[in-house]
Amino acid sequence: MAEIKLVDVSIRDGNQSLWGATGLNTAQILGIAGAMDRVGFHACDFTSSTTMAVAIRYFQNNPWERIKRMRAAMPRTPLQFITTGLRFVAWQQADPEFMRLAYRRLQMAGIRRFIVLDPMHDPDAVIEAARIIKEEGDADVMGALTFTLSDIHTDEFYADFAGKLAKSNHVDLFYLKDPSGLMSPDRVKTLAPAVKAAIGAKPLEVHAHCTIGYGPLTSLTAADLGIIDAVHVGVGPLGDGSSLPEATRMVANLREAGHTVNINDAALAEVKDYWTKLAKAEGLPPGKPQSFDASFLRHQIAGGVMTTTRRQLQELNLEHKFDEVVEETERVRAELGYPIMVTPFPQMVMSQALFNVIGTKRYGQVSDQVIRYVMGKFGRPTSPIDEEIRQIILDRPRVKELEKEPMFPAYKDLRKQFGEDMDDEEFLFRAVMPEEQVDAMLAAGRSRDSYTPEAAPIMKLLKDLAARPDAPDIAVERKGFRMALYKGAGIAS
Amino acid sequence: MRNNINTLFIANRGEIALRIIRTAKKLGLKTALGVSDADAGSRAAAEADHVARLGPAPSSQSYLNIEKVVAAAKEAGADAVHPGYGFLSENIKFARAVAEAGMVFVGPDPEALEAMGDKLKARAVAIEAGLPVVPGGEAETVEEAASIAGETGYPLLIKAVSGGGGRGMKRVDDEKDLKSQIGYAMSEAEAAFGDPRIYVERFIASGRHVEVQVIGDGTRAIHLGTRDCSIQRRFQKLVEEAPAPNIPDAKHRAIEDAAVKLAEHLHYKGAGTVEFLVDAETFDFFFLEMNARIQVEHPVTEEVTGVDIVEQQLLIADGAPLGYEQRDIEIQGAAIEVRINAEDPNADFRPSPGLVAKAEWPAGAGVRVDSHIRSGDNIPPTYDSLIGKLIVYGATREEAVARAAAALATLNVEGVKTTAPLHARIMDDARFKKGGVDTRFFEGLSAKGGANG
Repeated sequence: MAEIKLVDVSIRDGNQSLWGATGLNTAQILGIAGAMDRVGFHACDFTSSTTMAVAIRYFQNNPWERIKRMRAAMPRTPLQFITTGLRFVAWQQADPEFMRLAYRRLQMAGIRRFIVLDPMHDPDAVIEAARIIKEEGDADVMGALTFTLSDIHTDEFYADFAGKLAKSNHVDLFYLKDPSGLMSPDRVKTLAPAVKAAIGAKPLEVHAHCTIGYGPLTSLTAADLGIIDAVHVGVGPLGDGSSLPEATRMVANLREAGHTVNINDAALAEVKDYWTKLAKAEGLPPGKPQSFDASFLRHQIAGGVMTTTRRQLQELNLEHKFDEVVEETERVRAELGYPIMVTPFPQMVMSQALFNVIGTKRYGQVSDQVIRYVMGKFGRPTSPIDEEIRQIILDRPRVKELEKEPMFPAYKDLRKQFGEDMDDEEFLFRAVMPEEQVDAMLAAGRSRDSYTPEAAPIMKLLKDLAARPDAPDIAVERKGFRMALYKGAGIAS
Repeated sequence: MRNNINTLFIANRGEIALRIIRTAKKLGLKTALGVSDADAGSRAAAEADHVARLGPAPSSQSYLNIEKVVAAAKEAGADAVHPGYGFLSENIKFARAVAEAGMVFVGPDPEALEAMGDKLKARAVAIEAGLPVVPGGEAETVEEAASIAGETGYPLLIKAVSGGGGRGMKRVDDEKDLKSQIGYAMSEAEAAFGDPRIYVERFIASGRHVEVQVIGDGTRAIHLGTRDCSIQRRFQKLVEEAPAPNIPDAKHRAIEDAAVKLAEHLHYKGAGTVEFLVDAETFDFFFLEMNARIQVEHPVTEEVTGVDIVEQQLLIADGAPLGYEQRDIEIQGAAIEVRINAEDPNADFRPSPGLVAKAEWPAGAGVRVDSHIRSGDNIPPTYDSLIGKLIVYGATREEAVARAAAALATLNVEGVKTTAPLHARIMDDARFKKGGVDTRFFEGLSAKGGANG
């Protein structure tokens, strides 16, 4: 029996897991911010440099404005930013001075909580990023213990990693992050206590995706251990599926188990209702409870990557080789030192497996991403790469070319390039994004601040109608209601 | 940090009641509205979760009746009361009664209301906070008057302390005329009001009404930029815009800073407006008064800042700290609000209440209408004549003016006379298009165009 807090991942992880790049814009998020704040979430998983870039690219929404207005609308709930440490939009490791500026501006805008996730579980890399964050503000830093199944990712491995981070004053709390939903209820019973023993008084949270159905049970089992501070959830259509457990059901189950969950249930119901209506209005698929899939525990490859690979094989008339590719994926992953199966690594590992199966010899063809990985451009691999494979890959002539590949430019040079007096917020995106995308975002001006799911389909219909050259004026009239669109009136643009 | 406010009582009517209900709902609050018998079928009553009857139509028996309003709010289970503007919004007794009934008054503390409630007291507090006020002072003798004139400079105005409405007012352009004019003024004042005391004040020939929106949480305060409300008729604002156009940057910043200084001096909580008289030629500015409530014209500020002022009022009333830092506030573009009143601008603005046969409001990008009136609604003769506010936004002021004109051209209200045709003339006026007109603008407005201008 414990008090369990909730961290809501709907807007960032939930949206990304279920609705991808076509997900939420600023108006849709601001439309529910006030009610979300009343629920009493411990934190709101809000953004990352990737989702900030998506806001610019797809919606011409200013991501800085999005953070600031969200913070103003929900002052009680800390907004969370997830980072792999030293990357900002671009895949390369950025100049630490550049990251320092990014972390400063993020905290100034209103980010109160950072997740630092190093895919390689390199403690030095995490502590270094945490130190820069702490030097630029007073947000909490949460260390990610990214769960995966492999011979080396044992309870001891995670306890050892967490213990190293816990010694740093810059890391305030931890979470068991299971992005692929592989953590079983049995496993969390040994893993969580091992980690808790290593981190002492620092809080521990659980983030268990529902991909193969484990999420809700693993979260509940973890809560029962009495050492977990918070469970991560998604609300309504932004829970379940490949997202986190659905909040309303999780609250009911936690209470059923005798735990205390101090949230405003009416406010939660209202938020759920909003997302449900929005999903329906926008045609976005709600997350559904998942059937258990035992094979996933073996290959750990998410559905999207599987589908792509199957399609590629079909195109080559080699569909019968699919199982062979899956098996080869497991082998490649071991040879590459067990990268965690989180983007971009599953794509990287499986495409290498595909090359190995359909090619004339293993590693006869190697993608640039794999070469970069072996060269250490993504960081220090969790366990050593198979020496023979490493040599084969590093002997490729392409290595010489990739060595010359421009790295992330020095902060000083970027400043020179964009002008010393350019506004920091603009500079951070000019440095990493195509000019025309940033221009379009700035030209679009301020985002709208509200969204009405009920009106959205009508607005879309009218917009489509208005775009037709043969429909200059449109009026919708019924008793007590009239809405008209006039072409060329200069106000309905 | 938990919420204390779950149910909000709105002690107002019309467009502002609707405006408050919408933001309250967005924040996930339950809403309760007090209505007079005349407003039982209003749009706001339809949208509120709970409606309480306050009493008969006359305000004194409904919206202005403190006991009835507080009892209705209590009865509705409200945790807080939003007073809107007008009615009881700046009534200290009401604010106290709400607090005594165990509810939160959405507005500043009674101390701040008190300090700003009386013009002379407000002037004293502003001086204490270091704000410039119109130079001047009271004089009982010719010598005292001459000494004050030394501070105000020329031209100056001599007013009777007990006077009003322009009576007993004399303008003095030159020092050599001072003595004689003071003599006249004092004897006239004595004769007219039985009180010879006079007040000597700097004369500002061409003044603009510029105000600054501030928000504070009791600890710190920020401003949301300026609004210009110089276009008035008999002290009633007709057109408002943000930001105030054509004021040099340094002066603009100084005005904003002065407003924040006053808000911080008062440990101001909530939204307020600090009003200034700005000399249209020198841009010297002087504190006039502070309105301790939401203003009719707040939407123009919302449009150029992206801040929902009612949302911030409610969050601050609920104990949350200010959600913005000053550096987060960026004024983008320009916004203009025109007040659509049910009045006949061609018949000395005679009120035109009654049935609105048709109300077709413009809509579209950059157009916002805050209105409680739809086709078939009735405008009671009991209250003020505001039936809607047309607010337009443009990336530039020129764009905003053009958009306002275009929106006014599609606006169609039938059954009652409105000020819309007058606004169309204002949008077409060369002085307004240029920007930065003074408070005498209305006197010079061409009367061209007929009833529907």
